[in-house]
Amino acid sequence: MTGIPFAFPLANGLHARPAGLLQETCQRFDAVVVFRNQRNRACADAGSVLELVATSTVAGDPCLLEVSGRQEEEAVQALRSFLRLELPRADDAQPPAAGVEAGSDWLPPLFNDGASLLLHGRALAPGTGRGRAARLQLSPNLPARFAAGRKDARLEQRLFREALEKARLETRRQAEQAGNAVGAGILKAQLAILCDPHFWQRIDALIADKKLPAGTAIQKTAAAFADVLRRSPSVYLRERAADLDDIAALLGVHLYGRGEPAAAQMPRRPFVGVAASLSPAALLAFDRRFLRGLVLGEVGFTAHVAILARSLAVPTVSLPPASLAGIAAGGELIVDGRRGLVVAGPGAALKRYYRLEQEGAERRQRLQSRSLLRRAKTLDGSRIEVAANVGSIAELEPAWRGGAEAVGLFRSEMLFLDRETPPGEDEQYAVYRQAALSAKGRPVIVRTLDVGGDKHLPYLRLPAEENPFLGCRGVRFYGEQQELIRCQLRAILRAARHGRLKIMVPMVTTVAEVALARRLLAAAAGELRLRKIPHARRIELGIMVETPAAALAIGAFAGISDFFSVGSNDLLQYVLAVDRGNARLAGLYDPLHPAFLSLLRTTAARARKAGRWIGLCGEMAGRPDLLPLLVGMGFDEFSMAAARIAAARQRIGELDSGACRDLLRRALRCADAGQVAAQLSEFNHGRAATGVVSAGLVRLGSASRTPAEAIRELCELLELDNRVDDAAALEEAVWKREQTVATDLGFGFALPHGKSATVRAASVAFLRPAHAIRWTVKGGSRVRGVLLIAVPVDAADEHLKIIARLSRQLMHEEFRAGLLSAADPGAVLALLASAVAGPPVSRT
Amino acid sequence: MNIVAVTACPTGIAHTYMAAEQLEKTARKLGHNIKVETQGAMGIENELSAKEIREAAGAILAADIAVQGRERFDSLKVVEVSVAEAIKHPETVLNRLEK
Repeated sequence: MTGIPFAFPLANGLHARPAGLLQETCQRFDAVVVFRNQRNRACADAGSVLELVATSTVAGDPCLLEVSGRQEEEAVQALRSFLRLELPRADDAQPPAAGVEAGSDWLPPLFNDGASLLLHGRALAPGTGRGRAARLQLSPNLPARFAAGRKDARLEQRLFREALEKARLETRRQAEQAGNAVGAGILKAQLAILCDPHFWQRIDALIADKKLPAGTAIQKTAAAFADVLRRSPSVYLRERAADLDDIAALLGVHLYGRGEPAAAQMPRRPFVGVAASLSPAALLAFDRRFLRGLVLGEVGFTAHVAILARSLAVPTVSLPPASLAGIAAGGELIVDGRRGLVVAGPGAALKRYYRLEQEGAERRQRLQSRSLLRRAKTLDGSRIEVAANVGSIAELEPAWRGGAEAVGLFRSEMLFLDRETPPGEDEQYAVYRQAALSAKGRPVIVRTLDVGGDKHLPYLRLPAEENPFLGCRGVRFYGEQQELIRCQLRAILRAARHGRLKIMVPMVTTVAEVALARRLLAAAAGELRLRKIPHARRIELGIMVETPAAALAIGAFAGISDFFSVGSNDLLQYVLAVDRGNARLAGLYDPLHPAFLSLLRTTAARARKAGRWIGLCGEMAGRPDLLPLLVGMGFDEFSMAAARIAAARQRIGELDSGACRDLLRRALRCADAGQVAAQLSEFNHGRAATGVVSAGLVRLGSASRTPAEAIRELCELLELDNRVDDAAALEEAVWKREQTVATDLGFGFALPHGKSATVRAASVAFLRPAHAIRWTVKGGSRVRGVLLIAVPVDAADEHLKIIARLSRQLMHEEFRAGLLSAADPGAVLALLASAVAGPPVSRT
Repeated sequence: MNIVAVTACPTGIAHTYMAAEQLEKTARKLGHNIKVETQGAMGIENELSAKEIREAAGAILAADIAVQGRERFDSLKVVEVSVAEAIKHPETVLNRLEK
């Protein structure tokens, strides 16, 4: 018997999907695999998805797989690979249920219009949709028919087996045709339960031994397993109990005939589906062309149907049974999946509000996806690529979504760590191929194996070293481990047929090392040719510049390298002779040291002079405050953690490369890092002082007709300009202020304002409606200009001063007239900018 | 005449300063000397000294929240109005001091 210990990796615990994959892996071998949770002493047959799920295993639990039987060895190997590669990626994309619910019950005042009926529930899938209510009667009276069984046990058993087989076939087919990865995953998990011997054998036994009708046996078994799940400590697993109800219903349909309406019976105009419950399979199966939203009964946030609705972008709200029952079929509904609200019979003003909100959301989405698709450029048009550093396949999708234009560093060593033998060529090929495919033509730089230093591989048996950071790291051990590296290069060469992969060699100090890497690459290609395995004929090979030697002699490397990428973390520690892990020296490890900046600038300049592309992939690249210096150096690319990309792109777009070069020149004249920091802070600060207004914050000729619409539109402008994280949260703050005293000034101007943690930078947005807005019901003036001020909770005084100055300016007739008559947004911006920049208008 | 004033609004980011500006501008137009203390998000600015209060003929408190140091004005003629009032009708507010 072999024991494989591991810590359970998934945030949502051991639920049906990972359990199904484990069951599948175990069922491939003639072996007995027992799963033990060593925290709660639960144990299960790893070939049974339901027993696995019933162990209530949660993230971090110490677990053990015990493998024995004829194919023990093969099973152990497959399971090790499963635990390392498949299991960590088997969770839902969504975070666990806690902390994802919409926070506030607050609604803008126009919701209390006396006409619309507001039904409060829980938001399950975001977005808003409007349509006529249509009741989805998907499984009519199945429970009643379940018990109406025949008494012949053998006939019942045969009927059950047939229904089971049909249900498996149908689910498998649906999973294959789902056309939606999330939906396919959910259906596969259901299929795993249908294939779980513990599930169907128990039903079989109830029919044979207890002489129960098939339907009753199914329900009893499903209910027993559902009960176990409902006792789980994890909310996520408790909500999985609904999966068993879905499966029982599915089997019932195959036993007694189907109750689901065919596509033709779905309404042919926009509708909102209303149902106490809905199976994911049914949601996938029916015609969704006219489906605008779903209103469900008590369904959890992580229920499969909710996960699926989010992935299909169907706005969905769950309502308590009483509210759900009160919805009249055919009546008009608005499903608000952000506020967790269903509006029945909405009044005209509310419909208009939602329509504008929808248009705003669409506009925002278009702009955001366009700006993320756009190539990153400085203010003066210099092109700079913004790329992601990734360590695994799972990090790729978030990186592309976050606006990465390339992968500047794919750390291949993650594939080699925490295992007892190196990954084979095919295993590596599968990973690199996936990386190449997901890039859809964008470049991916794969760094070849970089171990030594702080990263150890037990199977390489590298001797212990006195000083590993100055020891046998990166390319330095390639000479001794030629087969290991050729194997990796073969895998990369094969995968490079599927996309733009490039190879980057780490820890280079001499030209001879690069020549060795090139020889290994040629040998790898030769081996593939000999084996007649398709591979890329041509691939770029570059080096990671992380030793001072490589940086200083970069001209010599240009002849043998296709490109360069500076690994600033290591380069900095070698330049300063500071161990970056030594906390006592943390103060010395400072990238602003003028010597380091000077080396970076020289390196970038020489690389460009030699006609070579040069990027930078250390932590520095992900710091927006340092970007002005790096942009001044003339790098072609910055590669960083995916989460930093949006901020970096935005910062790059604000920078003028000439100004950055000037800043760099000043920085290089400084005596120490402290002086550089002061120069840099002054540079960054200058932007903050004038940054409360920008062109994106001015809207003229707006269609807004009410204060609610105008405030919402202004909040959206601020969100679009990345000044506010959540427009709705600011809207709420502004309205709360507005309701203490209306901010209509009486000069045709309103000045709504709010302070909220959602505001990133103090900002002023301006809107001129096409038609004057009556701000308050009585006594208000007709407002022709709306100036909205948003302030963060911890606003700096310098920003508050700017806003105070602007407020004072508004008391002057000429300034107001200027704002109302300015011909275009540019003119408004100039007025606002001069108002905030000038000295206080009035002195005492 | 010499006038002192305090402006203060709930969030203290806009109306406090608008009212201050309005009172200063209008007072100058009417030929008065005025000093306005603002109690806003940046704290108290342009703080009134004891001497300035002593020498003033009256005080205007334009506030939607409690004025800090209200007792400083106990010996003066005080006109209390909302911030909106000072912004919309500064002249009327100032004239009320003369009555």
